[in-house]
Amino acid sequence: MFLLQVTRLCKTFGEVRAASDVCFEVRAGEIYGLLGPNGAGKTTTISMISGLLRPDAGKVAVDGADFWSDPARAQKIMGVVPQEVALYEELSGRENLEFWGRLAGLTALEARGRANEVLDALSLADRARDAVKNYSGGMKRRINIGCALMHRPKLLLLDEPTVGIDPQARANILEFVRKLGAEGAAILYTTHYLEEAETLCSRIGIIDHGKLLAEGTLPELQKRLGGDQLFVLEGNLQQANPDDWPGFRERFRIIQKLDHQLVVSSQNSRHPSECLRDLLELPVRVENVTLKRPSLNDVFLQLTGRELRE
Amino acid sequence: MLWTLLIKDLRRARHNPWPYLLNLALPLCITALIGLVFGPSSKGGGLDRINLAVVDEDDSVLSSLLRGAMNQGDFKKHLEPRFLERKEAFKQINDNKISAVLIIPKGFTRSYLAGDGPVAFELIKNPAQSFYPAILEELLQVAVAGLNAAARNLRSDLPEWKEIFEKEGRPDMKRIAGLMVRVGDRFEQAGHYLFPPLVGYETTTRKKAKAEGPALNVFAFLLPGMAAMFLLFLADHAIRDLYREVGARTLDRFRTLHDRLLPFVISKVVLAMAVVVLGSIVMFGGGVLIFGIRWEKPLAMAAVILAFGLFAAGFMAFIAALARNERRANAVNGVIVMCLSFVGGSFFPARQLPPLFRDHLSPLTPNYWFIEALRALQSGGSDTPWTWAALKLLVLGLALVIAASWLFQRALAKGIRA
Repeated sequence: MFLLQVTRLCKTFGEVRAASDVCFEVRAGEIYGLLGPNGAGKTTTISMISGLLRPDAGKVAVDGADFWSDPARAQKIMGVVPQEVALYEELSGRENLEFWGRLAGLTALEARGRANEVLDALSLADRARDAVKNYSGGMKRRINIGCALMHRPKLLLLDEPTVGIDPQARANILEFVRKLGAEGAAILYTTHYLEEAETLCSRIGIIDHGKLLAEGTLPELQKRLGGDQLFVLEGNLQQANPDDWPGFRERFRIIQKLDHQLVVSSQNSRHPSECLRDLLELPVRVENVTLKRPSLNDVFLQLTGRELRE
Repeated sequence: MLWTLLIKDLRRARHNPWPYLLNLALPLCITALIGLVFGPSSKGGGLDRINLAVVDEDDSVLSSLLRGAMNQGDFKKHLEPRFLERKEAFKQINDNKISAVLIIPKGFTRSYLAGDGPVAFELIKNPAQSFYPAILEELLQVAVAGLNAAARNLRSDLPEWKEIFEKEGRPDMKRIAGLMVRVGDRFEQAGHYLFPPLVGYETTTRKKAKAEGPALNVFAFLLPGMAAMFLLFLADHAIRDLYREVGARTLDRFRTLHDRLLPFVISKVVLAMAVVVLGSIVMFGGGVLIFGIRWEKPLAMAAVILAFGLFAAGFMAFIAALARNERRANAVNGVIVMCLSFVGGSFFPARQLPPLFRDHLSPLTPNYWFIEALRALQSGGSDTPWTWAALKLLVLGLALVIAASWLFQRALAKGIRA
C-alpha cells in the first residue's frame, strides 16, 4: 500500500521551474531516496509534500487521501525533518522534543514518556537536560529527527538529514533511519550523497533541474547502463573520435568522454573478456583499462552528462 | 496550543533573558535620566543655597544690620553668606567656590545717611557661573530699590540717624526710640496706601490633594507621550521573534504540523503584549518613584495600557509581515514608529502641532488615542473618554493581528524566506 503518492507535481518560482511533473510513490516500510545535486528540486518537492508550498499543479496523496483536501489529517500521519536544524537552541533537547510532541497533539504526559523513548533511541538520554546550543552538530541532527518522530508518524520525510556532520554521526543517523524503515515507516529521504542512497534506500529517484530523470532499485538503475560492468579506458584521448572507430557505437555505449578517460558500457550482454579485447584493438594508445561496477554517479552521468559530485 | 507556544517562549526567555532585560532597561534608564536632570525640582527641592561673599569695608552699624539681615528668614534659606576680606573673597571667586562678591564700600553709611551724593554697592559676579550670579544681581537690585525708597521717604530724619551712628560710644537709645516712633507714625499715615498691598502672593500647602482634585505634575503630562513611543519600540523588539522563528525554520516546522498560522502569530502578539505591559510598569512605576507622580484611576489606566499593548503588538506584527525580513524591518520600523509618535503627540503635545496635524492627522493615530486618554484620566477631564480610546485600540489591534497572520501565511506559502 502506498503511503505517499506524488503525481505530476509542478512548481515555478518566477522563471525557474523548481519541480516539473515529479511522480513517485512510497510504500510502508520502504525507504525511498530522492537523489540529486544541490538545487535539483529535492527540497521544493518535499516542501510541497509537507504542505509548506502549494504546488502549481499536480497532486500529493497521503495514505490514499489528497493532502490539500484535509491537511490536518495528512499532517498527523507525517513527520517532517527539515534540512536545517529547526530547533530552539536555548531549550534543552528534552524541552524541544516535548514541545514538538505537544504541538503534534500529544498530552503533556504522553510527550514526556515519548521524549524518554526517543532520547533513548537516539542515544541522547544523558544529554537530555543540556541546552541544544551546547550540542555537537551530530547531536543536533539527531534531536532534529527525534522531534519529527514524537507522534509516531507513519510517513517520514527527511530532507538531507546528514548535511554537514562527521562520518561517525552520519553512520549513526543512517542506522537509525534504517531501523525506522524496518519498523514499518514509509520514508522519503532526500540526499545528494551517493553512498547514502546506495546503502540506505530500497528505491531511488534521480532528480535534476526539477525533473525526475529515473527511478527504481539500485540494480534497476544500474541496468540502464547496459549491464553490471563499466570499462574505463585511460590514455591520451584528446584527438580520439569514437565515431571514426568502425562498429564501436554498435558494441559500446559511451558514458563519459574526457581528454584522458573514456567510460563505456557494453551494448549487449557480451562476456567482459570479449569486450576487453575489442577495446584494446581500438586505434588509440590506451595506457590502462579497468572494469568497475556501475555506481549511481555513473547513472547520473549517463542521464545528465555530468557527475553528481560536480 | 496557544498555552504550549507561550510556555515555550517563556522558557526561551528564561534561558536567555538578556535581550528582554536590556529592552526593558532602556525606558527605565531614560526615565531615570530625565528624573536625574529634572526630578528634584519636581519635588520642590529647587536651587541649592547660593554662596555669596560679603566684604564689609564700611564696618558701620548700618552695614552690620545688612549683614545680620542676610542670616535671617528667607535670606538664610536661600543664601550662604561668607563675610570675608576682599583678598580672600577674590581668591574664592577665582576658585569657583562662590557665585559673587558683594562689597560694601568704606563710608557707605555716612554717605547714605548724609544724602550728599549717590552711593554704590559693588557686586562682582563669578563668570564661571550663569544662574546664581544673575539671581544675586536681581536680589541686590531689590535691596537697592528698598534703600532708595527709605532714603527718599525718611530724608528729614536721616541727618539725626547719621548723628546717632557717628557719635562715639554707646548709641543714645532715647533718641533712637524717638526716631523709631516718628518713622512708625509715617508708616501709619501711609498705611492705607501700603496695606494691604495691591499685588501680593502667599504660599499655601494643600494637605489633601485628592479631596481638591488631581495635582498638576508636568511629568504626568509628558510621560504618556514618551511611553507611547518606547512601548512601540518594545513591541517591535518582541515581535521580531517571528523573524527568528522563520530564520531558524522552526516556523516551517510548525507549519508541517498545523495548517493555520494564526495561533503562532497570536502567541507572539501575547508575548509582545506582556513585554509592553512590563515596560509600562517600568515607565509609569518609575514616574511614581522618580517624579512623584500620583496616577489617577489606575484600573482605567491599566485597561488603556493593555489595549495599547494589543495595538502595539498587532501593529508591529503587521509591519513585520509587510517587511517580510528583519533587514527590511530594521530600515523601516524605526522611521514608522518615530513618525507615528510625532504625529500622535509623543514629542510635542498634539495641540501644539501645526493645524494640519492637530486637527486632521493626529486624532486619527492610535498614539494620540492612548496619550490623550491617559492625560484625560490624569487631569480628570473627559475630552477623550478612556473607554472609547481603549475600544478603538482593541479593535484596531485585533484587526492588525488577523491581517498580519494572513500576510505571513500568504508570504510563506509563496516560499518567501526571512
